[in-house]
Amino acid sequence: MGWVESLSLPFMQHAIIAILFAGIAFPMIGVFITSLNLVPLRFAMMHIALLGGAIGLFLKIDPLLMGLLFCSASSLALGPVSEKMKMGLGTLSGYLMTLTLALAFILFYKGNIHVIQAFDILWGNILSLTRGDLLLVVGVSLFILSVVALFFKEIQAILYDRDVALAVGLPAKGFYYLIVFILGLSIAVSMRMIGALLVDAFILLPAIAATLISRSLKQVFLFSSLFGLISGLFGLYLSFLLDLPTSSAIILVASAIIGFCILVERRAWFRANVTSR
Amino acid sequence: MHHSVELIDVHIRLGNVDVLSGINILATPYEFISVVGANGAGKTTLLRITNGTLRPDQGKVKVLGFDLSESNQTHSVRKEIGLVPQRAISHRFPICVEEAVLMGRYGKIGLMHRPKKDDRDKAQEAMKGVGIARFSKKLVHELSGGEQQKVALARALAQEPSVLLLDEPTTYLDGESSSEIMETIHSIHHQRGLTTLLVSHDPRWVDQYSDRIYSLKDGKSQVTR
Repeated sequence: MGWVESLSLPFMQHAIIAILFAGIAFPMIGVFITSLNLVPLRFAMMHIALLGGAIGLFLKIDPLLMGLLFCSASSLALGPVSEKMKMGLGTLSGYLMTLTLALAFILFYKGNIHVIQAFDILWGNILSLTRGDLLLVVGVSLFILSVVALFFKEIQAILYDRDVALAVGLPAKGFYYLIVFILGLSIAVSMRMIGALLVDAFILLPAIAATLISRSLKQVFLFSSLFGLISGLFGLYLSFLLDLPTSSAIILVASAIIGFCILVERRAWFRANVTSR
Repeated sequence: MHHSVELIDVHIRLGNVDVLSGINILATPYEFISVVGANGAGKTTLLRITNGTLRPDQGKVKVLGFDLSESNQTHSVRKEIGLVPQRAISHRFPICVEEAVLMGRYGKIGLMHRPKKDDRDKAQEAMKGVGIARFSKKLVHELSGGEQQKVALARALAQEPSVLLLDEPTTYLDGESSSEIMETIHSIHHQRGLTTLLVSHDPRWVDQYSDRIYSLKDGKSQVTR
């Protein structure tokens, strides 16, 4: 079967629609992660999802749904809890990362659960998205796009400097909590799409590439969405053409884009600093 | 007498340290007040309490008649308080000077609204006032420390505050630039009729420009002039 014929298959259509939405919206979360240094939180979310999956398997409830619920609930609570405990989000994430992993393994042991079953949540597969999954991806993507479009200036101030955002009179704390919540939600949904271990393909890598070549936050958002879309669609095509795992192919394309952006940035630096002398 | 800034018996403990333990500072409208103290004396904490981003454990903090020590909703009064932080050095963030200064208007513009021409004009005026209009399209992180400090001052002025808080505004400046920026601050203070609170460890500028000087030692304040 050729590429064009494969597009008539429902699972391919689901994958392409998911890439169209998530490819544009999810890299914006990567911009939040890189600007606010939320990488530990992103790792904590993966482990929280694993604990949710373990509880699901233990109680014989859909582990993916439980992972999603746990991620969403934790991302809602984490901001205010870190504030209340006067503990940085990074430290709290580190603490949760190890605690949730320990609890998950206790459940695997006590529930006699085959570990590989629980680790299914870490792999994901964009070619096995159900209609419900697709609706979730589209819904969360539209939510992210609306928040960025409506509150661009507030988000810009918070990403630039939270203290400045507070000082000029913005309700910076509330927006920060909103960002943390969206982050948890997107990570949970991306895990279903491409697996927790490869979440960075959609979320982080396009944002890193965009940051290298942009001169304004608007450009960062636009380029990161463009790169997310290109890596998703081209990665899917490559996986079909070369018979590669889809998530890995998407990551390869996203990594190649980063390499290209590094070259562009170096060239611009060389022009500005060497040839202008 | 009506005061723009009132700090009465303010105490705050951060971690295991009593940073401020009995601060009394009053500033009437249009006054230029300075607080001097060594590094680590609690000067930045004092400013954070005054702009409502930190709540004291004890005592009263009133700015422009609004009680900041009683309320969690301090962002409405923060719009009227311009802050020039000590740490003005920017991380690598893609924002040009013009946009960074315009940020001073964000609180007043209101949620979900975009900056209008009037906001851009005010940002432009603030940039001209501190002499950074020629850098307006440059990225902030490409500027020197002193220039970034001026960006922070322009942002605070674009906010059109009634109260201006300055946290060691000459930290990253050489002698000549320090004198230039202090002169600018002083003339803006008079032109705009601001109440200004400057904290510094450097007594040079404090003596020259202040109407009243407080010293900060062992968490307590004392009027020295």
